[in-house]
Amino acid sequence: MTSGLAFRRFAFTFGIAFAVLYVIALARDLALFTVYPSLGVVLFGTHHSKDVADPAIGFVAPAMYWYGWTATAATGALVLGFLAMLLPDRSTWRFGLAWVCVTPVLAMIACIYLTLPWFRL
Amino acid sequence: MTIALLMVHGLVAVALLGAITHQTLAAWAPVRARPGSFLGRFRTVPSASFANAIVVLYLVSALLGAILYLYFRVDVRPALERDGHWPSLGLFDLKEHFISIGLGLLPAYWVLWRRPCADESRRMRAVLTAVIAFVVWWSFLIGHFMNNVRGFGQ
Repeated sequence: MTSGLAFRRFAFTFGIAFAVLYVIALARDLALFTVYPSLGVVLFGTHHSKDVADPAIGFVAPAMYWYGWTATAATGALVLGFLAMLLPDRSTWRFGLAWVCVTPVLAMIACIYLTLPWFRL
Repeated sequence: MTIALLMVHGLVAVALLGAITHQTLAAWAPVRARPGSFLGRFRTVPSASFANAIVVLYLVSALLGAILYLYFRVDVRPALERDGHWPSLGLFDLKEHFISIGLGLLPAYWVLWRRPCADESRRMRAVLTAVIAFVVWWSFLIGHFMNNVRGFGQ
């Protein structure tokens, strides 16, 4: 039962933290790694074409950040989830239940806001 | 190879779409629906038993999508950029963002369906299921849309 409650705290914390951290990673461009699919190369951290050669290189070797943003959010959420598991069982997590429903919706709205530039081109 | 992956991805997505839609409708349908009615028959299905399948299908579908995304970025997206399909690319980016957020929700979703506590409201479980259902429907429709955006025969 104790492990069940601990996993429950992990699951709710992970869900809330993942949504928040994903939006932060997207807004601040914090990809844990950058993927260059045409080259078959993965670089640690966020890399833009202008950092290494020339902006035109982006057409030759496009970079992908989605995997890195997801990994950033997952890593941070894992750490926070494990920390939540260490809390005492008597801690109430009713608030977590509500936030695990509200936070992803807010995160999706934030993602829409951050994606708006695509629709103005 | 890419086409085969895309077909499998589509089939897994269809299975996921069916399962999550069934579970969402069952979670939101009135508890005292008339036994012989469509909703009444829907509710007789034990929705909790769908949870494991939905988590597995979501993970498999996301993994296949993540693999296909590599091909999309190299072979498809440059052509869409050249043709100025910017809003379509924006919708696709939203699909990727929503899928990631849905991935983060899977542990909480699984706990709420498979190990519910007495003090947890069914409404919250229904809300979380609806959020995941929205992500799945959005991803399915936008994925299908992107597949066809350049038009038949182009």
